Amino acid sequence: MKTTKILIIFCVLLSLQLHAQKYFTRSGITQFEASEKAFEPIEAINTSTTVILDANNGNIVSQVFMAGFQFNNALMQEHFNENYMDSYQYPKATFKGNLDNFSLISFNANNSYDLNGLLTIKGLEKNIQTTVDVKVENDQIFISGSFFVSAKDFNIKIPSIVRDKIANQIQINIDYELIEKK
Amino acid sequence: MNLLKKNKSFFIIFSIMIISISIISIYQYISLAPKKVVAIIPEYSGNANEFNYLVTDNLSYWISKVVQITGKATQVNEDGILINGTIYCQFENKKDIQSIIENQNIVVKGKLVGFDELLMEIKLNQCIIIQ
Repeated sequence: MKTTKILIIFCVLLSLQLHAQKYFTRSGITQFEASEKAFEPIEAINTSTTVILDANNGNIVSQVFMAGFQFNNALMQEHFNENYMDSYQYPKATFKGNLDNFSLISFNANNSYDLNGLLTIKGLEKNIQTTVDVKVENDQIFISGSFFVSAKDFNIKIPSIVRDKIANQIQINIDYELIEKK
Repeated sequence: MNLLKKNKSFFIIFSIMIISISIISIYQYISLAPKKVVAIIPEYSGNANEFNYLVTDNLSYWISKVVQITGKATQVNEDGILINGTIYCQFENKKDIQSIIENQNIVVKGKLVGFDELLMEIKLNQCIIIQ
């Protein structure tokens, strides 16, 4: 009887512990750069990315709103939302994946981890494989890295008139500071 | 003949002026920075709970729209506040947040970027305090 009680208490504590191991941010930085050299920079920054990381097993989900991308140029921002990304039809991009072999308990020093998962933009999925830097400091988890995606993979049509100015391979930089979700 | 010559040079100068002015104004239009939230008249101003219904009803209409929300700051974070537990307002100027106390009634203006399905909140950015 006693052992069952202890076991139950242990299970409850364990589940609480598991629940408490989620880290998240609402204001992650996602940046993209699609400029060809010698032309006007085509880049934008989004500081409202939501990221949730399960610190026990490395499962990660993130979501970025197209309307949250800020350009330096109003016209460019309008074209991005209306012509290229159809932001009203597809308001967000999502990523579902895993930081391979990540666990907060066995985390030691500054490390790079393989990040694998599915990136969904405009309703189309594409597998992403990249390496990111992960750092743990003062109860915060820092994830940063960059990878390339191709506009073609997500059915983003670039008119021939500007094709020379926009790079085929678009660089995406991520920089997230996660805090514990209570 | 003399008059024609005079008119010709005047015409040339005049057309150069017109062309240069239009080039400058086209360039200015093309390189315009996006409008700041401060300068945009809100599409909606009112209560946070009521606004929740409107967004649930037709989310795509509200994307990129500037709105002014009245409600209670139920959570105050480092970079933003949660209004009535359902609308997250991210501030451009983090100093603004320091003056906000939890559970204080507040009016903020910001741009709606979308509905966050991971956290089940409406997300506004570039927020400023109105009252």
